[in-house]
Amino acid sequence: MRSKKRFETMAKREHYVVIGNGVAGTEAALQLRQRDQNSHITMLTAGKLLSINRYEFPKVFSPCGSDWRDFLLHPPEYYDEHEISIQRNIWVTHVNAAEKLLMLRHRESLSYTKLLIASGGGRYIPESLNQFRDLMEKFGTYEEAKTVSEALSKGGHVVMLGGDMIGLDLARSLIKYGFRVTVIGQEYLFWPHHVEPAEKQRFTTILQDMGISVRSYASVESIEQGKSGRKARHIVLNDGKTIDADIILSFCGLMPSLAFMAGAGVDIERGVLVDPHLKSTDKNIWAAGDVCQIWSPEENQYRFYYGWENVKEMGRVAAFNMTGGNESISTFQDEKLIVTDTGEIDSPFWQFS
Amino acid sequence: MVKIGKHKTDIQIAICGSAGDGTIAAGDILKQAMAKAGYNVIAFDIYPPEIRGFGKCVARARITSEQVYSLKSESDALVSLNDSHAIAHVQEVGRYGAVIYEDTPISDIAEGAHISSHLAPAHLPYGVAFREISERVTGSARSRNIVAVGYLAGLYDMPVEAFHHVITQKFATKSQALADSVLDGFNAGYHIGANTFHLHFDRIGTSRGKGKQSDLVMMSGNAAVARGCMDAEIDAFFGYPITPATTIMETLAHEMPKRGARMLQTEDEISAIAATIGAGYAGARAATATSGPGLALMSEMMGLGVMAEVPIVAFISQRGGPSTGLPTKTEQSDLNLAVFGVAGDGQRIILAPTNVEGCYKCAGKAFEMAEKYQTPVVVLLDLYLSNRYEAVELPKKNPFAKNCSKPITQKTNQSSYKRFKLTNDGISPRAIPGDEACMHTVTGLEHDEQGRPSDHPVMHQTMSEKRHKKLLGAVNHRGITISKRFGDKRKVDVGILGWGSTFGEILEAMIEARKEGIRCSAMKVVMLSPLPLKPINAFFDDCGEVLVPELNYEAQFASLIVGATGRQVHRLNRVTGSPMRVREILAEIRRLADKAQMIAAQ
Amino acid sequence: MNVREPLYLEDKLEEIERSGKLSYRSQKLPTWCPGCGYFSIEEGVSKAMTRLALDQTNTVCVSGIGCASRFPFFMNTYGFHSLHGRALPVATGIKVANDDLTVIVVGGDGDAFAIGGAHIPHAARRNVDITYILFDNGIYGLTKGQTSPTSIVGFKTTTTPYCNIDQPLNPLMMLLSYGASWVAQAYAGEPHHLTRMIEAAIAHRGFSYLHVLSPCVTFDKTSNTYQNLNMKVRPLPDDHDASDFSAAMTEAQNNARPQIGVYFTSQRPTLGDGLNDVAKRAATIA
Ligand SMILES: Cc1ncc(C[n+]2csc(CCOP(=O)(O)OP(=O)(O)O)c2C)c(N)n1
Ligand code: SF4
Repeated sequence: MRSKKRFETMAKREHYVVIGNGVAGTEAALQLRQRDQNSHITMLTAGKLLSINRYEFPKVFSPCGSDWRDFLLHPPEYYDEHEISIQRNIWVTHVNAAEKLLMLRHRESLSYTKLLIASGGGRYIPESLNQFRDLMEKFGTYEEAKTVSEALSKGGHVVMLGGDMIGLDLARSLIKYGFRVTVIGQEYLFWPHHVEPAEKQRFTTILQDMGISVRSYASVESIEQGKSGRKARHIVLNDGKTIDADIILSFCGLMPSLAFMAGAGVDIERGVLVDPHLKSTDKNIWAAGDVCQIWSPEENQYRFYYGWENVKEMGRVAAFNMTGGNESISTFQDEKLIVTDTGEIDSPFWQFS
Repeated sequence: MVKIGKHKTDIQIAICGSAGDGTIAAGDILKQAMAKAGYNVIAFDIYPPEIRGFGKCVARARITSEQVYSLKSESDALVSLNDSHAIAHVQEVGRYGAVIYEDTPISDIAEGAHISSHLAPAHLPYGVAFREISERVTGSARSRNIVAVGYLAGLYDMPVEAFHHVITQKFATKSQALADSVLDGFNAGYHIGANTFHLHFDRIGTSRGKGKQSDLVMMSGNAAVARGCMDAEIDAFFGYPITPATTIMETLAHEMPKRGARMLQTEDEISAIAATIGAGYAGARAATATSGPGLALMSEMMGLGVMAEVPIVAFISQRGGPSTGLPTKTEQSDLNLAVFGVAGDGQRIILAPTNVEGCYKCAGKAFEMAEKYQTPVVVLLDLYLSNRYEAVELPKKNPFAKNCSKPITQKTNQSSYKRFKLTNDGISPRAIPGDEACMHTVTGLEHDEQGRPSDHPVMHQTMSEKRHKKLLGAVNHRGITISKRFGDKRKVDVGILGWGSTFGEILEAMIEARKEGIRCSAMKVVMLSPLPLKPINAFFDDCGEVLVPELNYEAQFASLIVGATGRQVHRLNRVTGSPMRVREILAEIRRLADKAQMIAAQ
Repeated sequence: MNVREPLYLEDKLEEIERSGKLSYRSQKLPTWCPGCGYFSIEEGVSKAMTRLALDQTNTVCVSGIGCASRFPFFMNTYGFHSLHGRALPVATGIKVANDDLTVIVVGGDGDAFAIGGAHIPHAARRNVDITYILFDNGIYGLTKGQTSPTSIVGFKTTTTPYCNIDQPLNPLMMLLSYGASWVAQAYAGEPHHLTRMIEAAIAHRGFSYLHVLSPCVTFDKTSNTYQNLNMKVRPLPDDHDASDFSAAMTEAQNNARPQIGVYFTSQRPTLGDGLNDVAKRAATIA
């Protein structure tokens, strides 16, 4: 009924479609509604849940227990109040920019007048680890996080390959909840922060002080299923040493989720290329969040910006411009890794509210 | 994975699709299996008014560990086998309820035609590749419904053995290959459902039978009626097809000949009841079944049955009226016709069961009563009761007495036998054709004790009195609930008086109201004529305000009660073709409770 | 008919006593108008029952409503005076309940072909093992003289004061085409023939239909009077073959000059046979 109304008056009203319900997409939807009361707004997400705060996922390990409702950015009523149609379990398979149509996996097509790509990023698995994919658990969605937490018994051992900031955030929590954590690898440690080699040792020491075991100079030679009676995973390192783990997670940065954009006629490099107004090379398509690469006039190149604050700002600016605004994205958070007064590491990447 | 816990179970599932999707069959497997596993199940299917084609079917089942009395107005899960029908039912799914649907349609679909865009934000979407799985596992898309049932069973951790049992049984008469393929389809769906992350919070908990396979059987009201007839050893049945009574006749057509009993489809309802009366007169346990329009045709014959004092049973399953009305929708608007619908003072016994078990009881007891009180007994059902399924446990021992006729005591000779002899209780010893030396003629004319026509004023007065007096004993007939009070004892603010299928909703509303701290109780009246006035009056004495919810426009039961007791009632009437909503009754209870409190305060 | 010799009551009573037919009569005397054709039908039934030595306790007379339908009250058998038009389904029910009973159904032409018209084909096609004796006076007697489905065109009655415009039915052709397994016609003014026909009708196993032309002396002074009928009625041709359905249909066509006798007779399974067969089939499956 809601959607019927939408179609009847489609001609007159804008139909904003937002692909993705992460921080960028959710913020954009709110901004769109506030700036265009009369429009139709549809959010599409492949997941089954309403917009969720992924930054809080480490809490799934909390002994107090939790369910997905504790992670919602907004209660269900929010979407009704703001007349945002949030359609879940939807896979966009193809974007037809010329006809302003989205092709959905379940063979429905959906028309838009303006499209925002905010599909975010999934875990990136480096080439060298790809063959062990199946032996590494996923941690991208609530369901995956919860499944991992249920599979991990008390005091269990988690091995993290890479050790990006998302992983380290999780590691902090795991230690707090009494699990053992080992981080392996050098290249992605502290990603997306760029840490000078001289600094790296200092930060690594802090991690170790926190109780995280860091094997920064080792790399994985092979991963096997654990023998019976042993832990579930058996890792052989390049130095011949072995580690037994209950769970292996890969935290090597993010990879934009935009397979569906192939053939859309929009310029893509690793992410969707957008100008500082977050507009893509198609006049009806914008992008925001971890999926887009923004032109930086200062650096004279397209680049990614990460972190909760940045992503939210992208959502806001994109929506502002989609509704007739003309704002460039400029003020980005400092991306430096810092050490607090109490001697702990901290990062703007972790700050969310 | 969540295992079957110790907590209570209360899950309602709706399966919606078109006639060709196997919707009802899917619902059937679900309810049979859950009953088999020892759960209480109440189920009600909705069929399209069209006979074939693509009309909408909805199969609903409420599965519980505790005794419940009606379906809920909200379902916890909706399975769509056809989005064009199911979209309208999304709104019946409650907060954090699941919507399970086909994610691999066979062809391209128009914008907005897929159910996924119609879910409320509080719904949980479970898109599943039903068609693909069915094709892969069973070689055709036809088993989509079975895959869906399997998925549902897996998703809610339902006991898989019970499903296997029911499916095997259902396909026992078909080829082994087909049965295997259906089982494969179920298992494939189950596997996926069981391995899907459970976002919903409803869980299957303990069953009544504590997980053991139980003696509970799923039975519709009409099936229970047929079963009651069989257990009462019915001899003859005559009927003319009419929704929603037809299935009684169809079931009996199957069962009766196995026992040598006889069933005949007659040329109309008049002949159906005429033959029933003929058979009853000849000493048979005879019955007919119809709906409102048929009952209207039977009126004259019903009067003959009363006048000639012939024992017969008529099952009347009400639907929407007047006239042809709403053949596939439920209503309780034939009370007046059933109670009053004959020429003259033609009181007879009217029973209105409130649940499936009651259908069984009333059916069997109706034969006892018809024989004992020598009168037609009308058992008043309605579509919602006829077609709804409940898990019932039938008594191990046959509860129905065989010959209840008042026997001819002393050897009489021709001139001394009086078929309509005046006695203290108004019941005369009854002879039937074949009995030696008791020849008599029965008639629809007023008659004397011998049955000879008489329009003598005293005779008419005397015989009218006899015919009414003899029924008075019926309100104390043994082994059947004539009326019953539930909830708070003694004085209450609100009493709810109900009859027929709506009493389930009334009980649910009453239970809710009591949880809210409202002092209330509910009373069902099973015998509508003669009315059990003593308990009804006692109920009025105890209740501040009395509410009468029923599915008709004219408040027929309320008027019956007011007329018989002279008391005041509040009427709640709905004619939407669907069962009364619990929350509507609850709202009235709350309002009346406030009123009662205010009056008490003054 | 036209007995001119003197009659002595004592002789008559003695004769009646000896005949035994009184035992089939109830103590209640018929309430019909003097001279009504129905008397000879009752007489015929009593005689036929005597000849067949029917067991009264296992005999039921069933009727609808009308002058004719008062019949069961005057018989010393079980009786069911039911509703207008509904004798046949009631009788069907009785037979379904107890195949051993001999069931005789009587009724008037209005009872049968107007209000009860829908039931006749079904009793006939099912071959219910009953005897249906139709008292056809071409008028509604009990309600005091209205037109009936067998009234002739032009007949003046209380409801057709200017004349009846409706074509009368042809009951014999109807019953033949409905599949009645025994069809005959008799006339109240030919009591011996009538008695023979009744006897044969009761003896027939299956649905037997006996159409009896019977004057209503009170309300019909012009149409089906004894005088008129005496002139018109004649026997079926001697060479009529009662096993020949087409011949029966041909003979039945002539409504204007009624022929009396057995039009058609055949043997086929009765409703009871059929139901027994169903029970047997069901038992093998069960
Ligand atoms: C339902 C109903 N309608 C009307 C009547 C009134 N009624 C009684 S007898 C009769 C007609 C009888 O005519 P017929 O059947 O030819 O019998 P007859 O009296 O001529 O023997 C009628 C109309 C009735 N008893 N019941
Ligand atoms: S009214 Fe006619 S049919 Fe009736 S009893 Fe008198 S003569 Fe016979």
